[in-house]
Amino acid sequence: MKKKNNILKIENLSVTYGPIKALRKANLEVNEGEVVALIGANGAGKTSLLKAILNIEKPNGKILFLGKDIISKSTDNIVASGICLIPEGHVIFSSMTVFENLQLGAYHNSYDFDKNLEKVFAYFPILQERSSQIAGTLSGGEQQMLSIGRGLMSNPKLIMIDEPSLGLAPKIVADIFEILSELNEEGYTILLAEQNAKKALECAHRGYVLETGRFILQGTSRELMNNQKARRVYLGGSV
Amino acid sequence: MEVFLAQLINGLALGSIYVLLVTGFNLMILVARIIQFAYPQFVVLSMYACWEVLRLTNNVFLAVFACISTSIVLNILSEPIFRRITNMKGIDINASFVASLGIAIVITDIMSHSLNYGFPIAFPTSWVEGSLARFGLIMISKGQLYALAGSIIAVLLFFYLLYRTKQGRLFRAIAENRFAARLIGIPIVKTSIFSYFIAGLLGGFIAILLSLLLGSASPWLGEFVALKILAVSIVAGLGNLRGGLVCGLCLGVTEAMAMGYLSGSWSNVVSFVIMLIIILIKPQGLFGTSIS
Amino acid sequence: MPTVLSYFLGFTAIYILMCWAIYLPYRVGQLYFTTVACMAIVAYFSGFAAREWGWPFIFVLLVGIAIGAIIAYILSHAIGKAPCFTVVIVGLAFIFIVKTVIENWELLGGTVGFFGIPPVNNLLLIAYILLGIVGFVIYQIDHSRLGRAASVVFVDRDAAASLGVNIKSLGMFYQTIAGAIGGMAGVLYTFLLGSLSPEFFAFAMVGSLVCMLFVGGYTTMWGVIVSAPILGGIPILLPVTISSWRQVIYGILLVLIILVRPEGLITKRMLWNLKGKNRYKTASNLVNTRREKVG
Repeated sequence: MKKKNNILKIENLSVTYGPIKALRKANLEVNEGEVVALIGANGAGKTSLLKAILNIEKPNGKILFLGKDIISKSTDNIVASGICLIPEGHVIFSSMTVFENLQLGAYHNSYDFDKNLEKVFAYFPILQERSSQIAGTLSGGEQQMLSIGRGLMSNPKLIMIDEPSLGLAPKIVADIFEILSELNEEGYTILLAEQNAKKALECAHRGYVLETGRFILQGTSRELMNNQKARRVYLGGSV
Repeated sequence: MEVFLAQLINGLALGSIYVLLVTGFNLMILVARIIQFAYPQFVVLSMYACWEVLRLTNNVFLAVFACISTSIVLNILSEPIFRRITNMKGIDINASFVASLGIAIVITDIMSHSLNYGFPIAFPTSWVEGSLARFGLIMISKGQLYALAGSIIAVLLFFYLLYRTKQGRLFRAIAENRFAARLIGIPIVKTSIFSYFIAGLLGGFIAILLSLLLGSASPWLGEFVALKILAVSIVAGLGNLRGGLVCGLCLGVTEAMAMGYLSGSWSNVVSFVIMLIIILIKPQGLFGTSIS
Repeated sequence: MPTVLSYFLGFTAIYILMCWAIYLPYRVGQLYFTTVACMAIVAYFSGFAAREWGWPFIFVLLVGIAIGAIIAYILSHAIGKAPCFTVVIVGLAFIFIVKTVIENWELLGGTVGFFGIPPVNNLLLIAYILLGIVGFVIYQIDHSRLGRAASVVFVDRDAAASLGVNIKSLGMFYQTIAGAIGGMAGVLYTFLLGSLSPEFFAFAMVGSLVCMLFVGGYTTMWGVIVSAPILGGIPILLPVTISSWRQVIYGILLVLIILVRPEGLITKRMLWNLKGKNRYKTASNLVNTRREKVG
């Protein structure tokens, strides 16, 4: 495989909550134009890793984004430099309108607001239809779309998505993954944390498997799909 | 009937000032996540600053400037204290209440010891009364009219800021979901400091309106108002801005009516008894609260 | 015994009692100032009963405790599991109302005060015996199931509810005891001073008590035993020019302690360490070994 530009490079990253180590010496790379999947069970440390990248959880180690160390920067600076995290469980501002949610997403990128808005509405026509509706009244799938749309409004260089399939119907999950593939074809780089390993690997180029805070396996999606151990543990035994 | 109308106008003027106070108080709850019990004390201290400058220079503009800047400075100065408290692990919003109680005690006691030798201050009559408007038997002082008009304008401006500007959107975002706000890159500390600034600006404005309406201030005014403001915001639901609007006005009118028909010392009790009963029946407030 | 010293000892006992009365409901996260109102009501009741009806002290004491408990119990039906600030404002509003009623009631002396309460022999001894009894009871409560339940409620109400803790009845229990202690303090205060003034039961009193509780430490009952004599008692011994600034000192101390040592001077952890490091160590070792197993 041809070596591409490094967008995100993580070296020896650890996250601790008091006495508990959520992540131990993780190493990870995300290249430009890739979809990278983080696979692991509940509590394996996927969310901690994503939060650590944004400095929401205090990490130890080295995080290089576009070649610059961002480990000691504040969350708003990191977001401004082009990383966005779409958190699990469709976290939106539910008492505000859909449009206001999108406006908030563009906090660090207000100069090409109209262009980004057009793009988001092209991906999610339903958001345009409902743009003056209160966000809390949207359905679960629509809220997830709003959450992704809000992330896109900042025109990020790296999109991190945490459990996009959580609590959604299979049909909608399929839609969301399709949109993620589309986004990737458009040139977006995506770091995807997901429990549903099969879905995630179908969508991703490469993957990392996390278990209790450690990376135990890594490789291309195909390698991981064919790896006996990964299959047994995460892809449902006898397939 | 004349008493009723006069007291109604008086009550609306008083009530709209309460609305402003509750709004500033709620802004602190929502954006900075603190119970700022000393907020009314800051207002009263600003009234003292206004009075002092007015006494020394007799210049209205200078006095207004001194009043507003005192309020802003006091609020901004308190920010590092409260930020440190809210950043502590395992410490909840109660700690901010206790700390602000401490600040309130200090301010009240310093006022009652040192400022004007502890005596209540009285604003010059030219500041308060001027020409009286008179409709039949009803007398409306200039102070009342200014207070009423001023607070309506201030409330409108505040809600415009909150619901129609980018800064206001940030305030609401932080108030609703701090985690999500941080996630999308809103600078929490910067926005929070700005909320102290807005609260200070509002406080200075309230101080001017209050001095116009009451014409005097005493060291214990802050304590008394703080009690009412906390009660109103609980009756409305902590952090509920619209509820504060309704309940603040109701408190003002109730108090004015009680003043009109009851003897002095009992009139203050009436509103407290009513609020106490409401709180006992609905401990979460009439309009609901987002603060746990 | 010189009067100043007896005042010092008496006020210290009363302040410790009142701080405990606020400490107890704060175990479930409620700042309960209603107890100050209970104290005021009972103080005036006991003064009136002793002077006008000639009731004996022991009788006044028992009825006073009962009145305090009953008031608190009735109110606790409404605010047993109310959020902290609702409880705060109920207390403050109640104090304000009681104070205004006293000030306007000729029979109770109004703003002038209520005088001529007959003295009681060995009051200090009685006060410290009562203090000992109350302390013992609180110690028993803290080390019982109720105390442990309260600790959970303080940290996380939802978790406590899901563990089957009845938050409302727990709050009602603590509030009622706090009311009873407030009543007891009211009776002692009346007979210690021999006169009453509504000024005493004001906002300043709440500030002083909060200061003593938070400076001493709200996580254990022992904190106020250190802070009440220093903060509440010593100002009585000082000349007026200094002691008139006590409120400023209270306020500054309160802010400082929250900033520097938010749990107060005496904390639970500190007591654990004093008792013998073993217990704390074993606890943390246990966590460590468990973690190794999990890892």
